[in-house]
Amino acid sequence: MVGMSMQPYGIQSMLKEGYRHLSGLDEAVIKNIEACKELSTITRTSLGPNGMNKMVINHLDKLFVTNDAATIVNELEIQHPAAKLLVLAAKAQQEEIGDGANLTISFAGELLQNAEELIRMGLHPSEIISGYTKAVSKAVEILEQLVETGSETMDVRNKDEVISRMRAAVASKQFGQEEIICSLVTDACIQVCPKNPTNFNVDNVRVSKLLGGGLHNSCIVRGMVLKSDAVGSIKRMEKAKVAVFAGGVDTTATETKGTVLIHSAEQLENYAKTEEAKVEELIKAVAESGAKVIVSGGSIGEMALHFCERYKIMVLKISSKFELRRFCRTAGAVAHLKLSRPSPEDLGYVDSISVEEIGGVTVTIARNEEGGNSISTVVLRGSTDSILDDLERAVDDGVNTYKAMCRDSRIVPGAAATEIELAQRLKEYANAEIGLDKYAITKYAESFEFVPKTLADNAGLNAMEIIAALYTGHGSGNTKLGIDLEEGACKDVSETKVWDLFATKLFALKYASDAACTVLRVDQIIMAKPAGGPRRDAAQAAGAGAEED
Amino acid sequence: MSVRVLNPNAEVLNKSAALHMTINAAKGLQDVLKSNLGPKGTIKMLVGGSGDIKLTKDGNTLLKEMQIQNPTAIMIARTAVAQDDISGDGTTSTVIFIGELMKQSERCIDEGMHPRVLVDGFEIAKRATLQFLDNFKTPVVMGDEVDKEILKMVARTTLRTKLYEGLADQLTDIVVNSVLCIRKPEEAIDLFMVEIMHMRHKFDVDTRLVEGLVLDHGSRHPDMKRRAENCHILTCNVSLEYEKSEINAGFFYSNAEQREAMVTAERRSVDERVKKIIELKKKVCGDNDNFVVINQKGIDPPSLDLLAREGIIGLRRAKRRNMERLVLACGGEAVNSVDDLTPESLGWAGLVYEHVLGEEKYTFVEQVKNPNSCTILIKGPNDHTIAQIKDAVRDGLRSVKNTIEDECVVLGAGAFEVAARQHLLNEVKKTVQGRAQLGVEAFANALLVVPKTLAENAGLDTQDVIISLTSEHDKGNVVGLNLQDGEPIDPQLAGIFDNYSVKRQLINSGPVIASQLLLVDEVIRAGRNMRKPTA
Repeated sequence: MVGMSMQPYGIQSMLKEGYRHLSGLDEAVIKNIEACKELSTITRTSLGPNGMNKMVINHLDKLFVTNDAATIVNELEIQHPAAKLLVLAAKAQQEEIGDGANLTISFAGELLQNAEELIRMGLHPSEIISGYTKAVSKAVEILEQLVETGSETMDVRNKDEVISRMRAAVASKQFGQEEIICSLVTDACIQVCPKNPTNFNVDNVRVSKLLGGGLHNSCIVRGMVLKSDAVGSIKRMEKAKVAVFAGGVDTTATETKGTVLIHSAEQLENYAKTEEAKVEELIKAVAESGAKVIVSGGSIGEMALHFCERYKIMVLKISSKFELRRFCRTAGAVAHLKLSRPSPEDLGYVDSISVEEIGGVTVTIARNEEGGNSISTVVLRGSTDSILDDLERAVDDGVNTYKAMCRDSRIVPGAAATEIELAQRLKEYANAEIGLDKYAITKYAESFEFVPKTLADNAGLNAMEIIAALYTGHGSGNTKLGIDLEEGACKDVSETKVWDLFATKLFALKYASDAACTVLRVDQIIMAKPAGGPRRDAAQAAGAGAEED
Repeated sequence: MSVRVLNPNAEVLNKSAALHMTINAAKGLQDVLKSNLGPKGTIKMLVGGSGDIKLTKDGNTLLKEMQIQNPTAIMIARTAVAQDDISGDGTTSTVIFIGELMKQSERCIDEGMHPRVLVDGFEIAKRATLQFLDNFKTPVVMGDEVDKEILKMVARTTLRTKLYEGLADQLTDIVVNSVLCIRKPEEAIDLFMVEIMHMRHKFDVDTRLVEGLVLDHGSRHPDMKRRAENCHILTCNVSLEYEKSEINAGFFYSNAEQREAMVTAERRSVDERVKKIIELKKKVCGDNDNFVVINQKGIDPPSLDLLAREGIIGLRRAKRRNMERLVLACGGEAVNSVDDLTPESLGWAGLVYEHVLGEEKYTFVEQVKNPNSCTILIKGPNDHTIAQIKDAVRDGLRSVKNTIEDECVVLGAGAFEVAARQHLLNEVKKTVQGRAQLGVEAFANALLVVPKTLAENAGLDTQDVIISLTSEHDKGNVVGLNLQDGEPIDPQLAGIFDNYSVKRQLINSGPVIASQLLLVDEVIRAGRNMRKPTA
């Protein structure tokens, strides 16, 4: 036979250069599981109130110091395809609920780790998937039974009720400061909560980070804080009507290019005068309508500014379209496109608008105490940028939790009480099951133990003792027994008041199981050659290293 | 070798070497796709050049994404893709059928048979099988009242091979209902009238059918309503924005008044168009009615402002295909000019609302009167789930359409393949003279690859399964394979039906390619090295 007739056999010979093909249990499934485990070990130590912070430096050399899993995995830029599935699940959780991303990743990692044990025992991934799928539906069923009675309805405007639901979410990000943050966030949220709470828009709670001071200096502004100065010399206005012009405050221009046709010197002189007269006429019209403040979305002409000053009108410039819309909502104004005389109903109103200097930053604060219930701003103070960023993430989590509770106010016991109860009941369910599913369901149940284990570990407690104590407590019927991390003992959560939102748990559970099952379902991976383009050597080396092992 | 003389750089594989290369390639491709077949098939993960992830069970998607280089494999892949273009399903089956034909032929050729004889046998067997298929099929009457059950069964059979069971069953209803929604008597079904829209939101099981339309953009004006009931819908293709003149024009003015006049004049024609729409609104709308303008061209901010002040919802830059669908869904007609607006040209929808997901806006037009167009709204937590569902939905729609057009179905779960094989071996083979018999036999055995692979993927013993299936068929019972326990079942009772056109196409194209490949006796590549430097 001719030598070259011996083509390499199989798929590899058929693919383009640089393609990689992984298949089978050892090459694909186990490798995938390992990558996911790696990822979850990274995030796990950040779980819970005593979670550790991570210092992540992203590709732009920006420094993040945080224990927010969503941020960590986002900035890590995971390359491994299977681990990426977990990241996607966490992102979905973050977008849907805004909290619980860490739970999603860590739980999925734990599920996969247990699946690996089962595979090594000789179970086929499809059997594990079928067991896990059964376990999920059962777990959801149990979770619904665990909902605290009486929590189905809540008054989303009652501060105490809101705080009780928000505290756990915020505490897991900023332990020890949750009381301050919760109270700030709750005030801000309740203020902007619309008549129908399900329409609550997280965008209406703004966060303004101002360097300096401390968390105790943080406050709520009923209105907006703009990080810019006023344009003219008038820096302060009380109880003023506001006219908003989206297109800019200047002389009007035609779409088609215009040319000024001048024949003589008089005409030139007159032209400037007519311009002036025109602008004055417009500004005067605005002033006569009662507006004391003009907000412009575009440029502000010198001449227009001059007349504004003359008519004692304060001028602000907001170049972001969205920011301008928010301002309109704050003041209750309707934006005009062109500079023209605004009708009275289009004018907005603010209680006060003033330029202030906070921590070296010039900000314009627009306050609207009465009518302005549509926008509120949390002014955060902190000593460094990363602290501020982290505080902001905690506030975001709080606001998202508020949104989630507006839609579904049901709560379940926190502090690992729910997890242990789920584990226990699922184990009972598994025992009743016949067939191979039993093993997978048992493992699924055991996976829940990682929550109390991690919480205890992160708090420096003896995890095994705690878990044993929890099981004993739950076995004797106390379904609300959770960990009290401060005292290092088990306590009823109705005393410690640690409640989690049902929706957060539900979605985290589903997304994690979904991601884990997807990873298990894959038995072949076909990887294209990584696309070219500039890339840092370090990243490449790290990526190659991860792929090789 | 002669080619060497002509071009010293040319590479030549001849005679058995060429044949073995093609056979190996066919078998290789079969190996890759084999594990995809059937409801118990596994998922493949495709990682793109930029690290994007795609998960699929669909043979067609896999072949498209896989960038194959081997010439034989490319030929097979093209046939499979053609199979998908024509019938929308059966790609994996085509590839493994061709692979198996090659495998069976290899055995005969190794024993010294000439490929040509085999090919003759294939041809005879192909014709006989097609004839058998026509007798074997189960006719379905497609009157005015369609038998929904049978459509559901076909759709379910297809979808279960693409997605996991729970989701497949849910999509079955959606797919069948959407096809029935757009179906018009006496007209060919245009699947483009089913809009497939996706939202990255919630879970895959939240996918639903919207009787109406979902547009992936929203109004661009902050003061427009986000939700409106009882809406008159104006579907139009009229520019509502200032457009520059074709010729290079300029304005000359010598004082501000003149300029102001020009500014107004410039906008006049656009404003007049907007005013005509507003007039119509005023004419048709009572107190509780709303008015929605959906425009294919643009609407500029001043026009939007005018509309918003009248309480009209204006959507600009709608997709062309959606204009057609809108008219089908809501009624009325698409207008190209505002000069002759009549209330008759308006459509109607019970509910129009906007849904915002992060940065994305979606507009739902729902509760329409007699929808002849609908939207399948796919939801999923991440992009790969959505892509997977999208591919599956496409195939599901095609299978329903095929059934309606074929007016018949074929029993699935391997029943047809086993029956055809028995028919070929027991009846056709006897009528064939000479060595072509072996070709018929090879073809018959190759058909078994479908039930075999199904069994293999389900973790069953292939030999056991085939024996029990063939013996049942010999007794005269038409049975398929139950993937749960490996026992024979009646596909009719289990509701497993395949498309007639898919099977027909499969039997038509498979042997043709296999014959072509078998008759290759020389592979010549001039210039470049066939093997990769890495090998």
